[in-house]
Amino acid sequence: MTPKERVLATINHQEPDRVPIVLGVSNATGIKMKPYRALKQLIGVNAEDRYLYDWPELGTAAPDEETLTRLGVDVRGVLDLEPDWVLEKNRSRPPHSDYVDSWGSGAKEVTPGEWFPMVTPLAAATTTEEIERYDWPDMDDPTRVAHVAEQAAALAAENEYAILATPWLLFPLERAFAMQGMDTFLMNLAMYPDFAEALLWKIEELCKTLMGHFLAALGENVDIIKVGDDLGTQESLLMSPQMYRQILKPVHADFLRFIKGRTGAKVLFHTDGDVFPLVDDLIEIGVDILNPIQTSAGKMANLEELKGRYGQDLIFCGGIDTSRVLPHGSPEDVRREVKRVIETLGVGGGLMIGAVHTVMNDVPAENVLAMVEAVEEFGHYPLGEAT
Amino acid sequence: MSSSQDVFAAVHQHILEGNSEQAVSSTREGLSAGLAPMTLVYEAMIPALQEVGRRFEAGDYFLPEMLVAAAAMQASMEVVRPLLAESEAEPIGIFVMGTVAGDIHDIGKNLCNVMLESGGFRVIDLGINVPADAFVEAIREHRPDAVGMSAFVTTTMPEVDRTIQAIEAAGLRNEVKIMVGGAPLDQEYADQVGADGYAPDANSTVRVTKQLLGLE
Repeated sequence: MTPKERVLATINHQEPDRVPIVLGVSNATGIKMKPYRALKQLIGVNAEDRYLYDWPELGTAAPDEETLTRLGVDVRGVLDLEPDWVLEKNRSRPPHSDYVDSWGSGAKEVTPGEWFPMVTPLAAATTTEEIERYDWPDMDDPTRVAHVAEQAAALAAENEYAILATPWLLFPLERAFAMQGMDTFLMNLAMYPDFAEALLWKIEELCKTLMGHFLAALGENVDIIKVGDDLGTQESLLMSPQMYRQILKPVHADFLRFIKGRTGAKVLFHTDGDVFPLVDDLIEIGVDILNPIQTSAGKMANLEELKGRYGQDLIFCGGIDTSRVLPHGSPEDVRREVKRVIETLGVGGGLMIGAVHTVMNDVPAENVLAMVEAVEEFGHYPLGEAT
Repeated sequence: MSSSQDVFAAVHQHILEGNSEQAVSSTREGLSAGLAPMTLVYEAMIPALQEVGRRFEAGDYFLPEMLVAAAAMQASMEVVRPLLAESEAEPIGIFVMGTVAGDIHDIGKNLCNVMLESGGFRVIDLGINVPADAFVEAIREHRPDAVGMSAFVTTTMPEVDRTIQAIEAAGLRNEVKIMVGGAPLDQEYADQVGADGYAPDANSTVRVTKQLLGLE
């Protein structure tokens, strides 16, 4: 099978020749610049450093083609961009000053090279008037998606890799966090639910506008669209299931309906933490692929139950722990973990392997390599036969 | 004029529901009715926060409810704190708290602070992105019984280790109990870096700290 056929078989619930690998093609499946450089050195690739979304402060590498090929990555990414004027404004701003995006939210440099989302323009807002008054970004700016059609068409013509497309952070809850601060918006969900709900719907309206342009530019040339919102914490949910169902789920449902009305691509939903109690809801609103299966968080550790209950409806993407195994384990630990994840979530297909979170600066390049080599070793179907 | 029981019930309820304004006005009402500040803290505020913790552990409360309750608790505490200082109420211990260098996450840390305060500690919060040296300085200055440090991402976890080493190098390690916490940490890591205690949430921070200090 070609990588593309491998992915298409998997996302259509058929057994592929081997478990596909998803790495480096969007931020949360991505790899930070430091481990990317170390990886290039380790495998002897000489390629220039480029950043996802042309966004150095995000710090995530846009891996070169040779590295992706050598790692056996089965997908290629298509991303949007911030409008030209925002990219230019940030390129020409004083060094170390705040990075601010088109939404007006942004990041501060806390220690050299480490940026955290701390520019929160709507931090004090609690009323719908303040939402209406805010200077929201222009989602019709054509420079956001000007490159998308050509890039996707080239990948489609090549016909080698599946296309995973990810417009930046069209995640209503996380965008609300970016606009208000996480604790502030969480408190507003409890204190001013009408306001919180209105803010989420306003954000979703903007997300739909941009998503509409993005999907139009992609046309047929897309296999997976990535959206999401982090709904879990290390030990449970960020908000109660009731609050999710009442306030946020309708927003997600509307967004997914919008997407599915415009593309035949599968929807990959990224949501960190222990989201076990919401998996039925996510299936109901049309999620096809669940990412990242944060095995370190609560009930998500129970891969057998996850596969048993939801394997008929969902494809799993991710699964390789970034809290302990990848940063602190040995290559042998990584190998064993990949084997364990494949032997549970991968039975009969239905699994794409990737790191649970962005491969951070504390992950040795050897462990990234160990991860993909273990997929080659244990990921061929039928499972359990040595290759 | 409501009875003291009514005031306790009102403060309790407003904190549980996270209504800061009403929690404050009920607290003021109690004070002007002659209730002792300490009594309000022990009969209304602390039981309310304990109930919040219980509901969180039981899965009835989640972060939004917990955060607004903590804010209401803090608002009520602001009202009584100046009066507590005048009375004889001695804190049961001093706790220096901070998020380690390079890390700006503070939701969990702030919840711990509220729980520790309501548990009788005086909390000195060094804030976020606190360098190891600043922890050392704060120990010299405030002579705390315990120090807590929080790290939320795997990349800042090594700062926990580094900070503990700095405290050791300064010859202060035996002066304080060290507590660590934050999403990627666990007991194993706490043992590995030589912390005295680990707590996965705000409630247990108080419990473990008290145990370490022989307070219960």
